[in-house]
Amino acid sequence: MARFDIDRFGAGVFRPSPRQADLMIVSGTVTKKMAPVLVTLYEQMPSPKWVIAMGNCAISGGPFVFEGQYNLIEGVDKLVPVDVYVPGCPPRPEGLLEGFLKLEEKITGKRRFPGPVQRW
Amino acid sequence: MVNKTEEELKAAFSELTVVKEDYNQKGYHLSCDVAPKDIAAVAGFFDERRFYLAVELCVDYRDYLEIVYIFSLHMSLCKVKITVKIDPVKPVLPTISGIFASAYWYEREIREFYGVLFEGHPNLTYLFLHDGIDFYPLRKDRIPVTDNDKRELSSFSPEQSEDSLCINMGPQHPSTHGVLRVVLRMNGEYIEEAFPVLGYLHRMHEKMAENRTYPQFLPNTGRLDYIGAMSFNLGYVTALERLAGITVPERANYVRVIATELNRISSHIFWLGAYLADLGALSPFLYVFDDREQILDVLEGITGSRLTYCYFRFGGLYNDIDDAFIAGTKAVISRIRSRFPLYEKLVTGNVIFVNRTRGIGVIEKERARKNAVSGPVLRAAGIPTDMRKLEPYACYSEMNFEIPSGQRADALDIYNIRLREVETSLQIIEQALAKIPEGPFMTPKVPKKLKPRKGDIYHTVETPRGELGIYIVSDETDRPYRLKLRVPSFSNLMVFPELAKGNLIADAVAILGSLDLVIPEIDR
Repeated sequence: MARFDIDRFGAGVFRPSPRQADLMIVSGTVTKKMAPVLVTLYEQMPSPKWVIAMGNCAISGGPFVFEGQYNLIEGVDKLVPVDVYVPGCPPRPEGLLEGFLKLEEKITGKRRFPGPVQRW
Repeated sequence: MVNKTEEELKAAFSELTVVKEDYNQKGYHLSCDVAPKDIAAVAGFFDERRFYLAVELCVDYRDYLEIVYIFSLHMSLCKVKITVKIDPVKPVLPTISGIFASAYWYEREIREFYGVLFEGHPNLTYLFLHDGIDFYPLRKDRIPVTDNDKRELSSFSPEQSEDSLCINMGPQHPSTHGVLRVVLRMNGEYIEEAFPVLGYLHRMHEKMAENRTYPQFLPNTGRLDYIGAMSFNLGYVTALERLAGITVPERANYVRVIATELNRISSHIFWLGAYLADLGALSPFLYVFDDREQILDVLEGITGSRLTYCYFRFGGLYNDIDDAFIAGTKAVISRIRSRFPLYEKLVTGNVIFVNRTRGIGVIEKERARKNAVSGPVLRAAGIPTDMRKLEPYACYSEMNFEIPSGQRADALDIYNIRLREVETSLQIIEQALAKIPEGPFMTPKVPKKLKPRKGDIYHTVETPRGELGIYIVSDETDRPYRLKLRVPSFSNLMVFPELAKGNLIADAVAILGSLDLVIPEIDR
């Protein structure tokens, strides 16, 4: 069965409507055409609400930033407040799981599991 | 076929000079420059002879704009490039969207990116862009969009019709697999008309290509189609090798085929799970993801990445395969084979699934040709065309495989074709594994700064979704002068408004899913 299971952390309840959601994962490039839609979605979510920016595109525009670009929002944090950044292009599944744990840590103030060992 | 077309073209239009081109270098057999007033007649000529319009694009040469039409045949190899030169200051050209339905969107695209006005086109409004962009992005000089043009471009708003109800599907709808938006005008539960609105993920790949060197653009190809990244990678690499005249070692060609076919399988079974989830069957999704993980693991071992592969290099591969890869591939083959009976039991014989998909989204042969549909959707319509067979690249010419073909051309047929293609891919991998030669995996001394010869090339490969065409214009510098991607999902989506008309809204989801769309590839 599926190897990466976010249900283990109670995070797997998928809601197709923003009105029932409390977490928005921005998982791709945000273009200027998408920006008003994204802001509307965020405003439709009931508080308290959180945002994860998943991937380099959502964090900063990623590889698609170049001089003369005309259609990119360079980072979703220019539109809505972001709580957790998950880097990678694309991020690995473990990265997103760690993002959930980080968000949980931010909300509750304590960590569910010991984090990765810091070797540096 | 090429000679016949050449003669007929010369006979029909005596004033034209038809040039015979070197197919191996350019990817098309004939080229011909046409005056703007004649283009409709020439398009009619190709329509009579059952050609399809593979792509229509524009190149800005500063002194003039060149509109390029590639006409191609389904069952035999004959490609014709028709060019029309127009004035860059006041670019006007008659439309051919009445003759080829596939021109309808391509001309809208050229209108918003180059400002070319197509006379007689019914709807020249924004397709990808929006009114926040005040210049024509792909023009070489910065040409501002005048207020008048902007008003015309944003004049189309299907939401504001009075008598009927308009429903917005997307851009954040779960069953569009990305940010595709379709506006549906409803009459009760039935769809009167569907208007796809694209561009929510327009990431300027074609503009970027003009700003990057050839190797720098390589990672982009993996991000165009994140499910079948290998095929896009292979398409770009083989196009460039053909343009620059780089030879590839035998071993590298075999590894390319194996890796691409593995990726094709993972793409098809991912589609299977996602499509059934759209139709309300959630458990197959979990089963296919289990299989897909095995394939991703094998590919990760050699490429180093999970999804957006960038494994092929100009002249070979990033690194050689090892025994673990071969053992893993063999394990994948036997695993996928053993899972097929399970899918048959779970899905193919399932009466709910069959009744939901049978008889909806029927694509007749003529409609498929007019819309330039490709890939499994085309094969389901009864035209067994596959670029791997028609124009073999890498080492597909040495492989022995059958191309499945359907009869009914409905969503159920497309499903069957995709499953049979998985079997085809397995056979190709087995043959390639048996024949793989020893030797180097990379041509030595491929220059870091590639400067291909002056000229252009139209190169096609078969991705999991259909025909990918890459048109590159080189001006002997280290970056492309123009790079156009003819993407399969874009062409397949073109047929959707026709298919959706008169259907239930629930069936629209089933039709949209059967086309297997990947949005980053459509929006580019």
